[in-house]
Amino acid sequence: MAEFCLHDSDQYYLSLSEPPKRFDPNSPVTNVFFDDTNGQVFTVRSGGVTGVTVNGLDDSKSTSFRMEDKGPIISIKFSPDHKVLAIQRNVDAQTPSVEFANFKDLVPTNVEYSHTCKWKNAKILGFVWPKVNEIAFITDYGIELLQVFPEKKQLKTLKSTSFSCAWFSWCAQSNIVVLAGNNGALLQPFSLSSSNITKLQKLELDATRPVVERDVFVIRLCEATWCAIFRHGSPSTSVSGPTEVCLMPITGGNGILHILKTGLVGRFAVSVIDNLLVIHHQSSQTSQIFDIMEESKRDNNTANHLPIVSGVSMKPALVDGQECPMYSGNWVVFQPDYIIDARLGCLWKVNLIHSGLAHSLSKDEIPKVVGALLRRQGGNDTIYRILNQLVTNADTHLVELSRVFDEINSVYRKWADIEVARNTAGQVVEKGSDTFPVLISQTDMCSHVLQAHADDKYLVQVVTAYLSSLSLHNMTVQQPVAEISVRTLVTRGASGRLRSLVRRGCLGEEQLLACQLLSLGHFDPAAAQLALDMMCRLKAHEEIVEVLLSWNEPVSAAGAARQCGVWGALPARKVLSAAKVHGPAAFRALYHALLARNERERGSPHFLKGEQCEIYIEYYKQLMEDS
Amino acid sequence: MIDIINKIDSFFIFNSNFGPREGDELKRILYFYPGQVNSDIQKTQVGLCEAVVKFMTTFSSAPCEALQTQSKRYIFYQPERNFWMVLVICIPYATKLPGDIKDAVEPAIMYDFMISSYKMFRMFMGLFREILPEDTYAICEKFFTPYISSRNIRNDLSNVIQGINYLPLEKNTFFKVICFIDLLEVNYPDFKCISFLYNDQLIWNGLCKDDMLTLYQYLIHNLLPKQVEKEIQGGAVTAAERHGRFISPPEGIHSEDDLKKIIKVYLIREDDNEAKAYYLVIYRTLSATVSFTVDENTNLDLSTFRSLDTFIGPKLSTIASSIGEQCTMHALVNAQITPTDHKFLYFNKLNLALKTSMPSNSLNPSTAVSPEVLNIIAEVHNDHKSLGKYGEIIIKTPDEYWITGKSSNDREFYVVMQKNANLKEIADEVKRICEMQMKGIFFYPM
Repeated sequence: MAEFCLHDSDQYYLSLSEPPKRFDPNSPVTNVFFDDTNGQVFTVRSGGVTGVTVNGLDDSKSTSFRMEDKGPIISIKFSPDHKVLAIQRNVDAQTPSVEFANFKDLVPTNVEYSHTCKWKNAKILGFVWPKVNEIAFITDYGIELLQVFPEKKQLKTLKSTSFSCAWFSWCAQSNIVVLAGNNGALLQPFSLSSSNITKLQKLELDATRPVVERDVFVIRLCEATWCAIFRHGSPSTSVSGPTEVCLMPITGGNGILHILKTGLVGRFAVSVIDNLLVIHHQSSQTSQIFDIMEESKRDNNTANHLPIVSGVSMKPALVDGQECPMYSGNWVVFQPDYIIDARLGCLWKVNLIHSGLAHSLSKDEIPKVVGALLRRQGGNDTIYRILNQLVTNADTHLVELSRVFDEINSVYRKWADIEVARNTAGQVVEKGSDTFPVLISQTDMCSHVLQAHADDKYLVQVVTAYLSSLSLHNMTVQQPVAEISVRTLVTRGASGRLRSLVRRGCLGEEQLLACQLLSLGHFDPAAAQLALDMMCRLKAHEEIVEVLLSWNEPVSAAGAARQCGVWGALPARKVLSAAKVHGPAAFRALYHALLARNERERGSPHFLKGEQCEIYIEYYKQLMEDS
Repeated sequence: MIDIINKIDSFFIFNSNFGPREGDELKRILYFYPGQVNSDIQKTQVGLCEAVVKFMTTFSSAPCEALQTQSKRYIFYQPERNFWMVLVICIPYATKLPGDIKDAVEPAIMYDFMISSYKMFRMFMGLFREILPEDTYAICEKFFTPYISSRNIRNDLSNVIQGINYLPLEKNTFFKVICFIDLLEVNYPDFKCISFLYNDQLIWNGLCKDDMLTLYQYLIHNLLPKQVEKEIQGGAVTAAERHGRFISPPEGIHSEDDLKKIIKVYLIREDDNEAKAYYLVIYRTLSATVSFTVDENTNLDLSTFRSLDTFIGPKLSTIASSIGEQCTMHALVNAQITPTDHKFLYFNKLNLALKTSMPSNSLNPSTAVSPEVLNIIAEVHNDHKSLGKYGEIIIKTPDEYWITGKSSNDREFYVVMQKNANLKEIADEVKRICEMQMKGIFFYPM
């Protein structure tokens, strides 16, 4: 299979943010906690007595403080506004309670209080902050949603729901928590938005295949919330084969179930980057990328996906100037895109390298990759690079190039349709930039791609392919494209093709285009013929009169002027000068016609002085004497 | 019906320089039709023409065009210096009543016939002067005899003006065609696509317009009818044929020997300045015919043709069927429009596009237009002065035919009506037809 490699592209398509955020590594005296909602690492030294350091990628929210060691910490998290710190401890008394400490400007105010869950015998599995001053305790008895009043050092129950739960998974981006009941055979999502607990539709699982905590992730992807479940093949459940990831829609997603085929077995982790689902596989040290927005065959509301390109490792990261072990067993991957190495004390974000997607492809995959890049923020640069390379190698990549054009134009078409619908319906919905991160207009195509290839051997074919794609998507050809097309076709000796295209309206109908064609009329009379037709269709009657006059066709010009009602305003001098070139018969006829016009308009047949017709009056007299 | 075969008295080509001495007169005659005429009569005929042509140079530097006697009309054409082609036509001998001119053949039609025969000769055989004198006789015999007997000009408007019937394709289908051509040329740089036909309608043309006309005529008059006949006789189309085949040479290209049979043509391609020799390769699938030129210095090899066949076959049949679908749809739409009883003919000098309301199907020639009308149209068409660059002419024949000719912007438009009406009514009617049929085309206002 013929390979395609984007020049100067990165060998990797995923990298870790450089430099990593460093923190004190896990040790007997130091405990490390991560809050994925705020993206912060808490390093607690000696239970907090010798200090707690809070680190995140956002330095303005980093802080350090000391606190009393009241027992081993299970979970520690700031509220979204960083004004309240909540700590869950593992204490002997087993009272299901959480401690709170108020903060001001990231400094503890020494105001501390605690709250006990309403189910006294329950075990708190964890807590989450759905919004400022609201906290939810997830217990094995159910969920309790509370409001925090930091000034009063009090909490008040807003709502609670009973549900027998073994573990849970939380998605901070959508405020949805999935509770696992019945030993992982039942997954029940709840929404904690708008100070309320809303029970959502439970997820249908195969009762014979209960799931375990490490195989379930609640993620936000493509403006929908999904429950990602890893389904491993195992001898006990008589299901064989490699692991699949099943994305079950919780909210949104049009109720479509997506199955991602990894083709691998073993331990996996999940990241979400720019609406792409990344599956990290530890033993092969590769990461696969899935795009659930890609076109896929749907069968009974189920869509199957393969990785966009075959799996590649993440770009090796440097820590203290040395390559650090990748896919290490000390890594913990948090959604959406955090990776922590607790042993090294590093916090990274995973980044997508767009060009890496086009590093090693079979020819057939190029359009698919461009399609994926069109759905990525900032994907346009790589698309332009791919396009430029394809155009340069158009002799071997013409088919792929036209399919890439189709990808680009179908996205543009969809956007344009939505814009039109929005304008006609008069709705103001700001969604455009999200759904269409990359739009490549005709102007963009000209300035970023076509113009740079003025000397390429196959530009005629490239331009034709682009026009063909525009036509297929029912898009009107705009001025820059029409201009570049005309120039290319004329300079490459393909004026026959230009005429066929114009004749079929493939270049649009524009006055500028007509003028361009007209100027070609000197060496290609057929172009001028088409230009006049086009002007006629555009109802550019005044221009037609001008053209005919410049061709020394005064009789037709007068006729055309009469038809569109500008005869009265036509300068006599111009008409007579053209008529003189054309011949005596035409001159006499037009001279008489102009005299009649003068008579009708001014009551006298004579020309005015300002019309500067003296030489023609003389010429007329001369003609009449001769005859 | 203009029955050329019966009207042609003789047709010959001579070059006085080929046998300058007395007694060598026969050498001067490169070709004589009909061949069975005895050599003395041939010599007399040619001698007369030589004399006339020579004599006329005294009066004008322009070559002599025609000579009319009581029973014959001689039409002269000098395609290359000293090479003369002469067509002799019988004209009705008996003096007829004035006005009864039905049988007279418009000389312009015959003149066109001769020119196109020369162009065809030049395309397939090259210039007269570049052929060795001793070979000329055999080559002319080989070319002209079958040509004359195969050409039958029927009583049809499309024969009065020699043009090309273009297929009006919707733009997306047209793009499919040119993208296919691009892909092919990019993958097989030696093969340059010069024409794409669907049935007898042209879609793509990569030649200058004159060569295209000649090639087009060769395809639709000579090559394709035989192929179509073969396809019909073959009954069920075999799978191999559905995927297409090379039709020139007519038996296809299957062996090294077949490669030697590929004919050569002398053409000006769109990007050339002068005629060059090329191999002509023609491929056909379903109703689509594609012709290619290959530089004569290229080494032809069988594997290239095999790979070309597998490359073109499936793609072309997809395109052909989508064109077919579009044509069917077009025909359905047209069928709903009530047919009009007037006839029109449109001709664009710049691309030789010819469009007519009259059936141009070679199987059932139209009998609706009388030869007289055709002659008038031919006359108007050839007499550039009568219409000029733009103008309009309305002619009424004694049997109530109204013939309107319009010329504008290098286009001609003729309407034929048979009805009892006055000049104004006819003019208005023509205007209406013109607006209806020629929508979006600019006619010089009068």
